[in-house]
Amino acid sequence: MKASATNLNQTQIAENVIDRCKKGDVRAFHELYNAYSAAMYNICLRMTNNVSDAEDTLQEAFIQVHKHIGKLERDASISAWIKRIVVNHCLNTLRKKKVYFEEVEEVEVMAEDGIDEAQFSWTVAAVKSAIHGLPHGYRTVLNLYLFESYSHREIAEMLGITESTVKTQYMRAKEKVRQIVKQQNVTR
Amino acid sequence: MPDNFESFIQQHRDEFEGPGPSPRVWAALEKDLTEQRQGRVVQLLRKNWFKAAVIAVLMINAAAIFYFTGHKRHQQQELSAISPDLQEARAYYTTRINAKLQLIDAYPANELGLDSAARQELQLRNDTYKALEKELKNNPGNERIRAALIRYYQLKLDLLDKILEELQDRHAVPGHTKKQYEVEI
Repeated sequence: MKASATNLNQTQIAENVIDRCKKGDVRAFHELYNAYSAAMYNICLRMTNNVSDAEDTLQEAFIQVHKHIGKLERDASISAWIKRIVVNHCLNTLRKKKVYFEEVEEVEVMAEDGIDEAQFSWTVAAVKSAIHGLPHGYRTVLNLYLFESYSHREIAEMLGITESTVKTQYMRAKEKVRQIVKQQNVTR
Repeated sequence: MPDNFESFIQQHRDEFEGPGPSPRVWAALEKDLTEQRQGRVVQLLRKNWFKAAVIAVLMINAAAIFYFTGHKRHQQQELSAISPDLQEARAYYTTRINAKLQLIDAYPANELGLDSAARQELQLRNDTYKALEKELKNNPGNERIRAALIRYYQLKLDLLDKILEELQDRHAVPGHTKKQYEVEI
């Protein structure tokens, strides 16, 4: 089943599923898993950049979901809550792989001379490939901001770096993607 | 304002989503959850064993106090002869302790939860109680032992109050019990 990012917040699960999950009903937890696993797996895949890590991270994250679902408040958004657990686990996976999110000097990132976006075509495949090739730090910031819709401030808190570093990393990441996509256009 | 790149992502956001995880993720997850549940059942059994033990201790306590008050007349003469003050204190504390034990007994066994320290304290005080009683019989006029016995009663009362507070915090308090306890406070 293919995930739908835009509809994640509207993902409907039966009202009593969460209550049943809180009581330890594994069948209800399976329903919850079925509703969210595809979208969450895609987050894991974008963040960790490989299938094996993505699956392991997803599994660990859902174990935590199961363990702590009893603490979820009635009015809280289940999708946002699960997503945050998944993202935290992705970051832990990256940290285990010695990916460090370090401060960088705030410098204005200018578009590289000669890159005229009008002259080349953006395609989903090209952008995916370009993001896949980014260094871990850049890719993490870009994913969290562009695909997971966290603010620069939220990302800064998650990564333990300043907001200005997040902004700089994001700008650099975008620039890098542009360069890669342009290169792909040239060699085509 | 979003640039071309950001606009492109926004317009094609869903196309960046791929299929879900392979079925082996759920299989592994289900196995893990089943093992966790089995572990929890074992934990629960252990926990209930402790709860049953605590209930037994409380019942023994209640029985001991009942036995104690049942023999009141016999002991009353002896204690009154020794110390009217101690007899009065004993009657006062016995009533209070009995009332609190009744409140605790009102909770179903599966609602009771006492930490190991509290359980140990409860056991320790039983031993203290027995030792003090024995000492007092052997040395009826000893002020130090009389003071220790009073202190024992106070400590026991404090402990029972702590247990009741913990029960109130952790579990739904039976309506009538809550009212009784509130009156007690």
